[in-house]
Amino acid sequence: MANIGNGHGMFKRINHYWRILGTGISFVVFGIGGILFRIIVFPLLNILIWNQQLRIIYARRIIRFAFRVFADLMSFLGVLRYNIHGLERLERKGLLILANHPTLIDTVFLMAFVKQADCIIKSALWHNPFTRGSVRAAGYICNDDGPGLIEDCSASLNNGNNLIIFPEGTRTARDGIMEFKRGAANIAVRGKHNVTPIVIRSVPLTLVRGEKWWQVPPTKPVITIEVQEDIEVQTFLTRAGSEILAARQLTEYLQDYFMKENNNAKT
Amino acid sequence: MNTLNNKMSKDEIYIWVVDMLHEMFELEKSKITPQSNLYTELDIDSIDAVDIVVKMNQITGKRLNPDVFRAVRTVQDVVNVLAQLLAEEAK
Repeated sequence: MANIGNGHGMFKRINHYWRILGTGISFVVFGIGGILFRIIVFPLLNILIWNQQLRIIYARRIIRFAFRVFADLMSFLGVLRYNIHGLERLERKGLLILANHPTLIDTVFLMAFVKQADCIIKSALWHNPFTRGSVRAAGYICNDDGPGLIEDCSASLNNGNNLIIFPEGTRTARDGIMEFKRGAANIAVRGKHNVTPIVIRSVPLTLVRGEKWWQVPPTKPVITIEVQEDIEVQTFLTRAGSEILAARQLTEYLQDYFMKENNNAKT
Repeated sequence: MNTLNNKMSKDEIYIWVVDMLHEMFELEKSKITPQSNLYTELDIDSIDAVDIVVKMNQITGKRLNPDVFRAVRTVQDVVNVLAQLLAEEAK
């Protein structure tokens, strides 16, 4: 018995170090990929396609494809496993997609599977050498512009883009307690966009806010992405009587909704 | 909501502001004091602040410079800004 136990322990240890290595490789590939896209792929796109709107469409397609490859690379390297449910619900346009954000990695899957995805980028990514080429080519929304942001987001949705927002504005804390900002609900309520929730689970958690890339979890994480049924925004508007109050109630509802979904995963 | 006029004292304007905050955001009046910080104590965010400016413009028929409101922190600041806006009207 002791022998088997040791063998098992050794396997676990090897697997652990392998996943650290695999994660490191993934990060390096991501960085190199980001640079190559910036200095080769997107400049080439600039030469080939002159119409700006068309160029953004292609840039986003390329990015989605690249993230798809990257997701499969991580799964091939044994860093993680992933499964997706409800993908057919994404076969629409102008979706306001709200998701929780347990791990750095979930972004990869959202960008890999949401077509014509738009997102709000913090200005750091706009300047980061590894990401600036891609986020600029794709014309993502920059989050510097306070209240004007709501209108930019609504306009993007009306143009048929699928806008991905993490209402928390940052990754979820390890304890799973979420605090939603009201921006996302305001976009929904003021632009009359229904919400398409995507619940993301990482079991065990990995690459949580504030953790280093080499701090891999004890076992291989399984990332589950569930596209849920839409939440109708009109119900909230009717009940609340004003956009301001509807945004508050929707925010509260969404926060409860995501925390409940998240807790279901634990039990 | 009562109308505002330029003959109102700051105390009267304060009462009006508290009413406005209560009506717009369902804040409990008992929780509001002149020193209450809109952002840290009353859970107002930048989107709400824009709505407050819009509301004040509607009521006074004036255009408040958004930069002026950016410096606003407390309920008393709102009262002061509003008093100034009303005084402008008197000119």
